[in-house]
Amino acid sequence: MTAILQALASGLALGAIYGLIALGFNITYATTKTFNFGQGAFLVPGSLVGISLLLLAAGKPHWGNLAPSEMTLLSYALATLASVAIVGAIGVVLYYCAIKPFVGAGGLNWVLSTIGFGIILQNAALAVWGPASIAVPSPLGNEVWRIAGAGIRPQEVLIAVVAISVMVGLDLVLRKTRFGKALRAVAFNPQAAAIVGINVEKIVIIAFVISSSLAGLAGMLIAPITTASVFIGLGVALKAFSAAIVGGLTSPRGCMLGGFLLGIIEALVGLWRAEMREITIFLLIIIVLVLRPGGLMGARSVEKI
Amino acid sequence: MTTLLSRRMLGALLVTTSLSLAAPALAQNEIKIGYNADQSASGVAELGIAGLYGFQAAIEDINAKGGVLGRKLVGVVRDDVASPPKSIQNMNELIDNEKVAAVVGPTNSGNALAWLHIPQQKKVPVISHVATATDITARYMKEPQNYIFRVSMVDREQLALLAAYAIKASKSGNIAIVADTTGYGQAATKDLLEILTLHGVKPVAVEKFGPKDTDMTSQLAKVKAAGADMVISGSLGDATAQVLKSMEKMDYYPGLLSTWGSINTPLINIAGPKLAEKTIFAASTTEDANERAVALHKRLIAKHPNMPAFVSAAQGYDAVTLIAAAIAQANSTDGDKIQKALENLGKVQGIIKAYDKPFSKEQHEALGVADFHLAQWKDGRVVKVDNAIVKSLTAADLKR
Repeated sequence: MTAILQALASGLALGAIYGLIALGFNITYATTKTFNFGQGAFLVPGSLVGISLLLLAAGKPHWGNLAPSEMTLLSYALATLASVAIVGAIGVVLYYCAIKPFVGAGGLNWVLSTIGFGIILQNAALAVWGPASIAVPSPLGNEVWRIAGAGIRPQEVLIAVVAISVMVGLDLVLRKTRFGKALRAVAFNPQAAAIVGINVEKIVIIAFVISSSLAGLAGMLIAPITTASVFIGLGVALKAFSAAIVGGLTSPRGCMLGGFLLGIIEALVGLWRAEMREITIFLLIIIVLVLRPGGLMGARSVEKI
Repeated sequence: MTTLLSRRMLGALLVTTSLSLAAPALAQNEIKIGYNADQSASGVAELGIAGLYGFQAAIEDINAKGGVLGRKLVGVVRDDVASPPKSIQNMNELIDNEKVAAVVGPTNSGNALAWLHIPQQKKVPVISHVATATDITARYMKEPQNYIFRVSMVDREQLALLAAYAIKASKSGNIAIVADTTGYGQAATKDLLEILTLHGVKPVAVEKFGPKDTDMTSQLAKVKAAGADMVISGSLGDATAQVLKSMEKMDYYPGLLSTWGSINTPLINIAGPKLAEKTIFAASTTEDANERAVALHKRLIAKHPNMPAFVSAAQGYDAVTLIAAAIAQANSTDGDKIQKALENLGKVQGIIKAYDKPFSKEQHEALGVADFHLAQWKDGRVVKVDNAIVKSLTAADLKR
């Protein structure tokens, strides 16, 4: 019983990470029907820039290990804000380099261009930070909270809280605000949106900035769990992408649901046979795509890549 | 004026000629030893850094006593950043351009396996002072001359020690294996299964996890349900740290044994200093193992206050000591003569132990399971484990 509770707790913690990254796919897909296939690589500057700022603030070189005493909630929050801003700015570059030349032109050129941009970003980070990973202490301390025998770390709870808040925020923005309406209008028909006076390019750039900032945020949030390194992004981003597909790329709630679903399945299947986790997850994805091509909570009949 | 000029020119000419004469003379007074190991990139880079400190200290000591064959030893150091192509390039450069007499390295077993054929074909002896894969010294064992030697832990041997300890320490007799899905983790699992079979023990659980996984609570729940009270981790330090963190989440602490990857600071940085103390791991030596180790550690830490992993410093030191002894015995810097001398060395005093015929035609491992210690982290330092169970281990327990 405790084992199942623990699997649920661990699964929710993992799922929150997947969901948070999946939200980054949602916002640009909802606007341009494209997204950043290199999203995983954006987690890399997300975590490394923030951690390096903390290291520099502590009077150390930009590469090294942080002592727990050098990590306060305030410094962590400030570093996260800086990281979000910087990675958001990289999102603008991404748009002009890898999206704008191809968007609306049909074809899949943007798939390769975003993957390529991600690889460039990752290798640039490799040149600056090197390949080793940096252990990052959690600003909330390292103790374990226990709920009915199942352990969970404060950092994992923080990720879940932030992920759900971002989801609610995105959901509200998309549904209730003028900006959200503009976003949806651009997604529905860019020409018509332009005719009614919506600055289509501005909206699209904002969508990519939000998406990239979310990767920066995710990078900083997961660093205390996964360590910060040039290689953190790839594995989680693939799972996050799967979460978005299962839950529905067009819906923030779907992305979050997909994330939690994948995390829990992974942990529960691990209780049975750890090597069956990936098999189960990708079988599930195929089944969902057959039965509900738009994902569990997505709009029906969207174009799939 | 003209005489002055010509005198100057003459002077310059003299200086140039004397320099060009001096250069080869200088080289003839030197014996170069190469060092090719990761010192910056992978999770075991620290072993390469500390290994370099030991390598340099040994060269200093030998030169202080007048060098070898009346010539000075010079270390030529290259970092292979854990990348096999870079490691191959370094190896070619050290042998072809620098004309080194022998090479110490590498850090990563995969890199060794990528370039073993180069020193073997070019007849340059190599002593692996860190990399542990069993195949490194075994690959050319059947050749007339095998140029690859080792002064380090060997995976199979350290796992033999861990298995023997686990069997003695387990009250229920229930032993489990947890390893990642990398080549290292799966090779360790295979070795452990074979060693435990020799003891007539079947592990109650054999679990695996992905190399980037951070939560192994599900796998450990199975280990716990199977009633294991000793768990052997067949992974490097960072993955073992994640296993410990998952154990903390579950508040389940069986005895956790791990390979010497745990001697690196990623274990302590990721798991935290308190949790890191909960694993016992294999090490060839510790800084408190004997008085020579204490002295070398004191000297190195004074020079390099942040020195990690003393163990590979001792191994690097001993590797150079053995190479120097072989060059002296061969009375030559020819690769094949050094190789033969290495296989016929007599008594050589090292840091880890006093070597007596460390290598032979059939045996290219200077250290074996009998030389290994168990160690653990205590207050941020690695110390030797010397409990009743360790004392009760006999040679017969160390099945491999």
